[in-house]
Amino acid sequence: MSVVGSVVGFMIQTLAVSSIYILVAIGLSITLGTLKFVNFAHAAMYLAGVYIGLGIALELQFSGDIARSIGLGNVGLDLGFLAALAIIPIITFGLGLLMERFVARPFYDRPDTDQILVTFGILLIVQELIRAFVGGRSLTFSRPAWAEGAISLGPLGTYASWRLAIIGITSVLVLAVYLYIEYTDVGLAVRAGTEDTEMVNLLGVRATRPFLVIFGVGSGLAGAAGVVGGPVFSVVPEVGVGVLVPAFLVVVVGGVGSIVGSVVGGLLIGAVEVGLVMNAPTWSSVGIYALAAVVLLVRPAGLMGAVEVDE
Amino acid sequence: MSEQTEAATPGESADASGLLDRWDGLRERESFSIAGAIAFVVVFPMIFTNLPAYNGYMSLVELIYIWAIFAIGFDLLLGYTGLLSFGHAVFWGGSAYAAGLFSANVSGEPLLIVLVAMVTAIVLALIIGILSLRRGGIYFAILTLAFGQMMYFIALGPLGGITGGEDGFTGVTVDPLLGALELGTGFAGVLGTLLHDIGYVLFAGFFVLAVAAAVRIVRSPYGAIFQAIAENEQRVRFLGLNVWRYKLAAFVISGAFAGVAGGLHTIHAQYVAVGSLFWITSGDIVIITVLGGIGSIFGPVTGTIAFLYVENIVSGEIAFWLLVLGALFVTVVWLFPAGIWGIVTGIRSTVREQLLGDDS
Repeated sequence: MSVVGSVVGFMIQTLAVSSIYILVAIGLSITLGTLKFVNFAHAAMYLAGVYIGLGIALELQFSGDIARSIGLGNVGLDLGFLAALAIIPIITFGLGLLMERFVARPFYDRPDTDQILVTFGILLIVQELIRAFVGGRSLTFSRPAWAEGAISLGPLGTYASWRLAIIGITSVLVLAVYLYIEYTDVGLAVRAGTEDTEMVNLLGVRATRPFLVIFGVGSGLAGAAGVVGGPVFSVVPEVGVGVLVPAFLVVVVGGVGSIVGSVVGGLLIGAVEVGLVMNAPTWSSVGIYALAAVVLLVRPAGLMGAVEVDE
Repeated sequence: MSEQTEAATPGESADASGLLDRWDGLRERESFSIAGAIAFVVVFPMIFTNLPAYNGYMSLVELIYIWAIFAIGFDLLLGYTGLLSFGHAVFWGGSAYAAGLFSANVSGEPLLIVLVAMVTAIVLALIIGILSLRRGGIYFAILTLAFGQMMYFIALGPLGGITGGEDGFTGVTVDPLLGALELGTGFAGVLGTLLHDIGYVLFAGFFVLAVAAAVRIVRSPYGAIFQAIAENEQRVRFLGLNVWRYKLAAFVISGAFAGVAGGLHTIHAQYVAVGSLFWITSGDIVIITVLGGIGSIFGPVTGTIAFLYVENIVSGEIAFWLLVLGALFVTVVWLFPAGIWGIVTGIRSTVREQLLGDDS
């Protein structure tokens, strides 16, 4: 393969891996930036995306102990991948609204540690509910038929169309959210809230509604990440935390509160991971942490992060 | 905190509550907590292994002491200093591996194993602490979780040759204590009834030591600064104290407790599982400590007993005990932040008020 071809190949793989992390990280980053809220339960949205998505796209086998004892069999709408991709963000958007209203909001005035503990507890409950109903073993989330095979990009080489599909879907979603935050009033309130939450409140802006909406948007993206990531990562109850941790690193590396930061952080994390998978596979899971450690030492606020007011 | 808020001032002996005041004066003493821990390790196995139904067994009693040391150390960080670490598996698992490797390659002397484990945990805590405290408050939990997972992947991948990778480390060899006392040697007579065997004395002894050390730290001026940081970090900074340094110290001390516990666990299990480094272990110690009740020495111990009892004895009966546990955990965080121990002390003070009447 030519040099150009291998560079393009590396970039495409990086983009595909980064995509899922970026989709999960944006929601985390915004809630961290505006609400100073650490949301471990964000991983539950990813899990909802994977498992409900599997049920919508194909079929979900309920083989957990509880499901068996009440005689719950397989449930599947078999509507296909694109239907899941369209429906899941709406469902997880709704779940996000519920979570903001009933879980996050009662905890805004409580200590940080309580917020983290309660969201961790909720993630645990969701994870164990999945284990009780669907079962703990790994399921298969097959790729849609149209994304099997490869596409030739002329002289640049031939690439798995699935990877290109992931990149395309993510680009559209991220761009849409970016425009939403840059050019609408809700987005304005969110950006102002990231810079200085206290000042926004003092100016009399009721930021409750924007925060609610943005919580939902972040959850919607995490749900979409579940649908996209289902066929890529394994489908087990623990995968929520497995994706959450790299997404946290994306926020740490990229800096909090901005979509650009999440994209930059995600690309860097993805590049390190793909680079190591290609050249030093045993270190592939370790490199991203080393990157985060270096960024923390050199630029504690993250690459794109501004110095925050009252961290 | 419950320990302090409840302590009535000694010397102010009213006639009606004179006895109670003297009792409080006694309870306030540091030696009381230590004596309590010693009495506990003598009595606890008798009750625990002789429950009318679902009774425990000796090996589980020892395991409870080991986890309790871990939990007490974790609470020094979470309950007393207000820092939530989601990566404490590093110190537990990292020291357990160090203990295993040391026992296989250098010496199987239990006390040396524990020492090596503790030193390993201290070094790890310094490195991870310095990195994780780069960002304030809320980032601490995220960063400790991340670096905890890093150690898990390091043990699994690059160091797989030494650690045994996914299979865990199996070459643990434990020699007799001080070169002469086989851990399995039982005592005869009354001593046998009270202290069982050498191994029990080792684990129970370290548990008592951990309680004594924790009480000493909490009652020291240094420990008072930890608690001040949890209450109001800014004020401590205004007093001219270096908050960052005290936080790092609390993290390292907490890591040292986890290291002792990890080393003891290697001796106890004669095996190190790679899961000891996984985030679930970190989550377990968070759950144990919070369920038991943060901000006291006996809360984490209570939490350990409850968690390990349910995990090992009752889990067969309740198929979804983890689900129940998760729900219980959220309920405690939401409604009873003082945990099980807080509920116990709450009942105790209600009873006291009833006994003493309005004049108290």
